[in-house]
Amino acid sequence: MERSRSPQWWMHLFLMGYVVVLLFPLLWLFMSSFKTNREITVNTWALPTSFNFDNYIAAWETANIGKYAWNSTFVTVVACVLTLLFAAMTSFAIARMKYKKTNKAIYQFILLGLIVPPGALFIPLYRLVQGIKLFGQPLYDTHWSLILVYCTYALPITVFIIYAFMLSIPNELEEAGIVDGLGATGLFFKVIIPISLPALVTVFILNFISNWNEYILSQLFITSESLKTLPTGMATFNDGYRTNFASLSAAVIISIIPVLAVYVFLQRQIIEGMTAGSVKG
Amino acid sequence: MNRALKNPITYVAFIIPTLALYALFFVYPVIVSFFYGFFQWDGITEKVFIGFDNFVRLWQDEVFRKALLNNFYFMAFSLIVNIPLVFLISIIISKVRRMRDFYKSAVFVPVVISTATVAILFGVLYNYDSGMINQFIRLVAPEDWAREWLSDPKLAMLSILIANAWQNIGFFIVLCLAAILNIPKEIVEASKLDGVNGWQETWSITLPLVRPIMFVMLLLTVSGTMKVLDIVQIMTNGGPFQSTEVMSTYMLKVGFRSLELGYGSAIGVAMFIIILVLTGILQRITKSEEVQY
Repeated sequence: MERSRSPQWWMHLFLMGYVVVLLFPLLWLFMSSFKTNREITVNTWALPTSFNFDNYIAAWETANIGKYAWNSTFVTVVACVLTLLFAAMTSFAIARMKYKKTNKAIYQFILLGLIVPPGALFIPLYRLVQGIKLFGQPLYDTHWSLILVYCTYALPITVFIIYAFMLSIPNELEEAGIVDGLGATGLFFKVIIPISLPALVTVFILNFISNWNEYILSQLFITSESLKTLPTGMATFNDGYRTNFASLSAAVIISIIPVLAVYVFLQRQIIEGMTAGSVKG
Repeated sequence: MNRALKNPITYVAFIIPTLALYALFFVYPVIVSFFYGFFQWDGITEKVFIGFDNFVRLWQDEVFRKALLNNFYFMAFSLIVNIPLVFLISIIISKVRRMRDFYKSAVFVPVVISTATVAILFGVLYNYDSGMINQFIRLVAPEDWAREWLSDPKLAMLSILIANAWQNIGFFIVLCLAAILNIPKEIVEASKLDGVNGWQETWSITLPLVRPIMFVMLLLTVSGTMKVLDIVQIMTNGGPFQSTEVMSTYMLKVGFRSLELGYGSAIGVAMFIIILVLTGILQRITKSEEVQY
């Protein structure tokens, strides 16, 4: 092979250079998070003199990060599970059940959602959420406002991906189930769902990351301090502590660490899941 | 045989939750936003129908024009700087034989961090006294090259664009790399027999064959830069002196700060139409260019 003889060291040099430039800011921030404000200004490039966690304790206590992280986890997980359940049910109905015309109409109707950017709808959406009552309680300023809206805006892409997968499942598997006496619901839970697991995992990750990182809606719908999610809480902290770099660095690191930890273990699935969403023009 | 799959009750039960949510939180706001656009309304008193006045006002609004220009600046920067860089890096990653997975994982790291956090991170990096960027400049260049990155109207936009590129490039690299590695081996082998090699191969084989992904990247860039919001709002919120105002930050200010819900909705509608037209044009241009192996 001719190719194997061509030198590659300069390509590695280039890529390594790029990776260092790309990731160095995170390292710098990490080092800063153990320093005092004065040290950050005076000894920017030096390693921290000691690993003192004062900044972390201060950030954790004043920024309320634990509470925000819990709120984010709750909203994200519930929204993702609901999205997955609803989207899988709908995809099953329109991909596997025998109602040709309605199936096609519903599919195309749902795909319209991929065209309209939610960004253009903030004002009517805000008014709507303010006006809705759920079981006699206002929806505004509750986690459910976020959960329902996140779920709605994740549905088109989720249906799009799961539908394509379910359409490709061969009929024979279903027929075997029918012979065993399964009805539509049984087929859905016992045959189709287990086979569709890879697609379900992909969209779960895709939705998880976008809900976890969502900022604007959470800022519009949630006003109570104790209900804020991580991105909004961080932004509030940022506004209040703009000059306290030591605490700010620690807060940013605290909010990044769990994400990076998960990424280290699930990078292949995360990359696959997130890029699967790229059809969302 | 098909009896089990022709069960109207299950069918309706499986479809209703999706359609109900979709109708309430998507279809209704879409219709209403067009409707609001024709009214003058502060959200408290009665709506006043004013026909196309909001859209005429939009046409003459200096701030909106400035915001739209900034969106185009965003788009142009992404097209001219980000995308070529994405191609260069993905091609090099595809050419190295070792550590490909490492590079792929490393470039993707900023993508998983939330935009809100990235905005805060860069706020720290850009700080005048202690930020990493100015500290680095002071280290290698004259002291007075340090800048107020986010409070200088001339530099604020560029600073945001760099932060945005830092976060987004990895996503595009992974997309592009997958497309390059997807090119059938036979084509590359055949071209070698024809005496094509190295960078010649990149130019004449790889680039033409990854055109579909190029199209996807263009589409994502255009729609993404037209609706950009989070990063601008947290880093500068349109300031200083509206030098970084984009359509969506302006929309939120008009709608929620000045309480002009009618005019704000009209901005939303305009944004939607602009995105639709631009992506429509793109689709037109590239439609005829299907790649066949």
